Amino acid sequence: MSESSPRAVGVSMSGLGKVFGEKLALDDVSIEVDPGTFLVLLGPSGSGKTTLLRCVAGIERPSTGTITIGGNLVVGGKTYLPPERRRLAMVFQDYALWPHLSVRKNVAYPLSTSSFEKSERSRRCDDLLERVGISHLAERYPNELSGGEQQRVALARALAAEVGLILFDEPLSNLDADRREQLRIEIATLTRDAGMTAIYITHDQSEAFALADQIGVLNQGRLVQLDTPENIYRHPHSAFVARFTGVAGEFPVRVTGARGEHCVMVALPFGAGHSIEASTIENFDSGADVQLFVRSSGVSLGVPSNDEGVRGVIIDVAFNGRGYDHVVEVGEGFTLTKVFAPMKFERGRNVKVCFDPSACFVMDPTREVSK
Amino acid sequence: MAIAALDTAAPVTPSPMTTSKKRGSLGGVVLWIVLTLLILAPVGSFLILGVSPRVFQQGSQWFTLSYVRQAFSSYFGRGIFNSLWVSTSVAILSVCVATALAWLIHRTNVGGRKFWAVMMWLLLMMPTWMMTLGWGDLLQPFGAAQALGINTHWIYGEFFGPLGIVVVLTSAALPFAYFIISAGLQGLGPEFEDAARIHGAGPIRSLQTVLPIIAPALLSALAICFAETMSDFGVAFTLGYHSNFPMATYVLFNAISNFPANFSVAAVIAAVLIISTIPPIVLQSHVMRKRSYAVLSGRTRAPRRRQLARGPRALATAAVAGVFFIALGVPILGAVIGSLVKNLGIDSPNGVHFTLTYYAQIFKPSIQGNSLGAPLLLSNQLGLVVATGTGVLAVILARRLIANPGSWSQRITDVFLLGSVAVPGVVLGVGYIFFYNLSFISNNVVSIYKTLPLLMLALVANAVPGQTRFMAGPVSQIQPSLGEAARVHGAGRMRAWRTTNLPLMSRVLLWGWLLTFTKTIAELAISQILYPPSQEPASVSIQSYLANFAPNTGTAMTVVTLMEMLAVIGIALTVYRLVTPAGWRRVGFSGVQS
Amino acid sequence: MNLHTKTNNVLRKRVTLVALAASLASMSYVVSAGTAGAASNPGFVLYSSQGYDHASVNAFNATNPGFTVTLNDNSTGPLLQQIQAEGNNPKWGVLWVDGASAFAQLDGEGKLLRNSVPPKAKFNTLGLQNVPKDGSFTPTGLTVTGALCYDSSQITAAQLPSSWSQLTSSQYKGLLGMNDPSQSGPTFPMIAGIMDYLGKYKSGSTAKSVSAGESFYTALKANGLVVNAVNGATITAMEAHTISMATIQSSACYGAALTTFPSMKVKYLSPSIALPSVIGIDGKASKTVRKDAQKFVDWVLSPAGQAVMQTADPQGDSLFWPVIKGENPANPIIPPLSTTHAISTNPYTWGKLETQINTWFDSNIVNGL
Repeated sequence: MSESSPRAVGVSMSGLGKVFGEKLALDDVSIEVDPGTFLVLLGPSGSGKTTLLRCVAGIERPSTGTITIGGNLVVGGKTYLPPERRRLAMVFQDYALWPHLSVRKNVAYPLSTSSFEKSERSRRCDDLLERVGISHLAERYPNELSGGEQQRVALARALAAEVGLILFDEPLSNLDADRREQLRIEIATLTRDAGMTAIYITHDQSEAFALADQIGVLNQGRLVQLDTPENIYRHPHSAFVARFTGVAGEFPVRVTGARGEHCVMVALPFGAGHSIEASTIENFDSGADVQLFVRSSGVSLGVPSNDEGVRGVIIDVAFNGRGYDHVVEVGEGFTLTKVFAPMKFERGRNVKVCFDPSACFVMDPTREVSK
Repeated sequence: MAIAALDTAAPVTPSPMTTSKKRGSLGGVVLWIVLTLLILAPVGSFLILGVSPRVFQQGSQWFTLSYVRQAFSSYFGRGIFNSLWVSTSVAILSVCVATALAWLIHRTNVGGRKFWAVMMWLLLMMPTWMMTLGWGDLLQPFGAAQALGINTHWIYGEFFGPLGIVVVLTSAALPFAYFIISAGLQGLGPEFEDAARIHGAGPIRSLQTVLPIIAPALLSALAICFAETMSDFGVAFTLGYHSNFPMATYVLFNAISNFPANFSVAAVIAAVLIISTIPPIVLQSHVMRKRSYAVLSGRTRAPRRRQLARGPRALATAAVAGVFFIALGVPILGAVIGSLVKNLGIDSPNGVHFTLTYYAQIFKPSIQGNSLGAPLLLSNQLGLVVATGTGVLAVILARRLIANPGSWSQRITDVFLLGSVAVPGVVLGVGYIFFYNLSFISNNVVSIYKTLPLLMLALVANAVPGQTRFMAGPVSQIQPSLGEAARVHGAGRMRAWRTTNLPLMSRVLLWGWLLTFTKTIAELAISQILYPPSQEPASVSIQSYLANFAPNTGTAMTVVTLMEMLAVIGIALTVYRLVTPAGWRRVGFSGVQS
Repeated sequence: MNLHTKTNNVLRKRVTLVALAASLASMSYVVSAGTAGAASNPGFVLYSSQGYDHASVNAFNATNPGFTVTLNDNSTGPLLQQIQAEGNNPKWGVLWVDGASAFAQLDGEGKLLRNSVPPKAKFNTLGLQNVPKDGSFTPTGLTVTGALCYDSSQITAAQLPSSWSQLTSSQYKGLLGMNDPSQSGPTFPMIAGIMDYLGKYKSGSTAKSVSAGESFYTALKANGLVVNAVNGATITAMEAHTISMATIQSSACYGAALTTFPSMKVKYLSPSIALPSVIGIDGKASKTVRKDAQKFVDWVLSPAGQAVMQTADPQGDSLFWPVIKGENPANPIIPPLSTTHAISTNPYTWGKLETQINTWFDSNIVNGL
């Protein structure tokens, strides 16, 4: 590896496992990250995403498996490179700013081990502060800053490192909503501008979809799906992935017949046994009991007419700026949430509910993981 | 070369940041070997005599319970009983006072906050025998107060009794409680208080709501105050003895001051002292389970201060001043004025005269060869080595103590350290003779009996438990991510520690060092029994003047020693201020930030 | 390539090692300092609580170049604790403290070198009374304990009691002080002597002596006896007029009278208790040490050694009665020994009772409810 080569590096994880005492935190995880890719690891707390990130950083050592960064083995077998020799940067969930150093000194920290001249360092530092928009805070100390400002310092520090890989450990989780949105955009643009490979962990699916080139969904230490955001959303491989990436509702249904490849007819448990089309990645025989997952994009509302279809009653409605999110009761004990419509349907009103087959999936509820 | 740096074919030693099992256990083994040599083996050697006096040729029985019975019989039993109730009262009292002080100093605009914080440190460093000396000099007939025309007859009798004992011991325990509770308060954001008040609670009720949140700190403070008070010898030997109020450490001392000494009864009493610290710590760990104290990070915001109105502020300031006057002012004034009164405590027909004679006598070499000069120099050297050694060991232990909260190793270390706090110095001293004078040890391991290093080791052993528990709070407040961030951004282990953890700990390290330094200079029980031939430390010299030849000169020596300690503290703080970057002094430790 | 990696690791290890070494450096420095200067014949360590011991050791070392006596100067209590804790691996060569009871105990355990009394020493009568039959220790001088010291500005000679039993009469209520035997070396011998005397008076056994003594001290306590820790504290209490008289060690009274307390006077009730300062040699020590130690003991009893003892602590321990024929007390304030009515008690009999009696005293007299 030389300084003149393109900055972004590839990361390869293979067969990673990590055991804490009795608990299996990571279970045979393998991921290839191409140079320049923005990978988001998505999962609930305890899914192993933090452990995985810390293994890449070198803060944890995996129990099994190997990791290479930029083609160089950093951990595996007897090899273990400490974090400071992995040439990466990281933004921490709690920011991890050093309270005894000013903003400028925090940002300059990674530069102090580099080969830059002092004047160059100071110039780069100013430039970074400028880029994240906190030049005016350079001489302040971390505890004099707001949460958002602190996270900007942490971002500037990570970018200052001039390395090919940047790790984000839920960097937005401690911020309020509007700042989160704003900073998310900056993270996306600044990281891509810097031409770095990024691994970003979060439990927030909207954050994941907004940022990622690739999303890896983790559950109980295992990688359950690794794909583009679009594919994750459109073709979830398991009930878990479907649920975790957001559904408007899920119901037990029975398969009534096939409709070509990857498409089946299912009978709904409400609406007098009304059948709809739904996508599937498995083959189900007629009569099979399966689970239907409906994305919010897969439901639309209309004014009831005479033709057949599912009817529902509006239970709640909320204005979201562009239109309205509705909660609809489609049968005794069955509701759909976050059903969008550009116009408002009042509470208590009867509506027609239409399903889009491409955003309705059936899966075997007994199988958590399907490959 | 960059490739070379990343070459992974070389069989590098695994050195992950987190505790890899191999390294963790190896470090643990080394640490326990050190602790064994330092504390466990010597104290164990002493304690075993309680049931098996024959082990060190102190009796004919291999196993007997007769000394256990003896220890609970009238005289010894009375001492144990007295110590238990005094320590309980002192612990409760000092935690109450300390909570009030901590809240006023950290959470309100009470006057002189920085000053009080520094005073608290001085109080922490003040040995109890100096306190009782000052009180005694002040209140005794023809004492310092009387010399100033103040009648103290009415309180003299009262003070030499449980009242005075509780006052002095509470003064001594106060700083321990204060620092622990202050740390607890730091983690308590004002939002808790605000939330309680918004939901309709008055100030009192909001305090009630908030207190349980800092309950772990309160219990920790209770435990340490109890253990410190149980093991105190300075008050038991002076006030307790003179007021016919035997306490456990005194009856222990008494058991071994006859010839032949009854080490076995002393061992049982020592065991009682140690065991008595277990209930508080069990209670504490029960409450603290799975709670973390890690609150100090870049994100921590300074808590808001309640702005008291002028009247309440003046009142609060006066109350804080009153506490410090009683705890620190009175004893120091008593000793200083007492050292200036000619023939203190003696009904002189010529009236009261003030004199500097006793100060003139201090550095004159006497017949006994024990003027203050050489002993004080030696004590300073001892203090230097002991404080440094203790500091290093305490940091390592403190990190271990907080590394795996709730784990067995952490609990054992915790119980061990608190139990060790309760070991009286005299037990450690005699235990050191037993253990380090064993032929096996002196022939095969190390032969240091009757040398300064042995005294130093014993003093380190004496200081380490308290120091570790003292440091555990501030050390645990440092978020691990601060060090990890440094590692990730290119700093090696040493550099990461030096540039991130050290600055945050620098202040507590400095104060901890000063604490051990001053405690070492004033230490008496261990020094008395272990000082090597012709190398008498200052505390021993002073004590022999006080007890035997010239109490007035002894008092003057005490004052000079105290001044010298203050000078060292002043110099150390000044140097720290000059040498360290500004950022270091912004953070790290609630102790002196107000 | 490998070289670089290795170098880095080696460097890191080295830094860690340096840090460890630095933390231990000061200690090892002192270890070496502590053990340095060990000559081919280091001599022995003298455990002593005598006020003149520094002068004696210096004088001896100056005139006897063959070996060096190292002085471990401390109070009697810690010295005896050290000896007891050292157990079967003793580090003392010679012990020199006031009172023979500890020596009798050590002799009983076979820890003293027998027949170590200097053959050349010509003891006077009281000296001879304090030489044990097996010659395991040697008296080097005498003071008297149980001397009735009084403040003549507070109480006149005529008002003083003429016997021990009178001290319990109401006339002296609250006037008398003494020391605590657990803290003051000379006090147990006094209590033992008084008990012995009272027992003989009642012509009974030791047990009867003890119980007679316990009754006596209980009566004294009922009459307002004030117990202070040591001689210094008791004399300070007299100076503060808390008490007017005290039964303590003669040398302490004379020392005070010569310095800060001119109105201090001494009366000797019959009997007072002879308290020898005693020297003895470790019987378990090596042959060389025993030989060297014997040389030192011989010197202490020689005219040169006696001269140092008599002059080195003129207001303290030097105020004693010599046990060598022809030697006289150094200071004219000391009356002839015959006027003190001093008796000697058997240290072998009474030494065994020390712990029992002191514990009784602490429970019932010092801290009695």
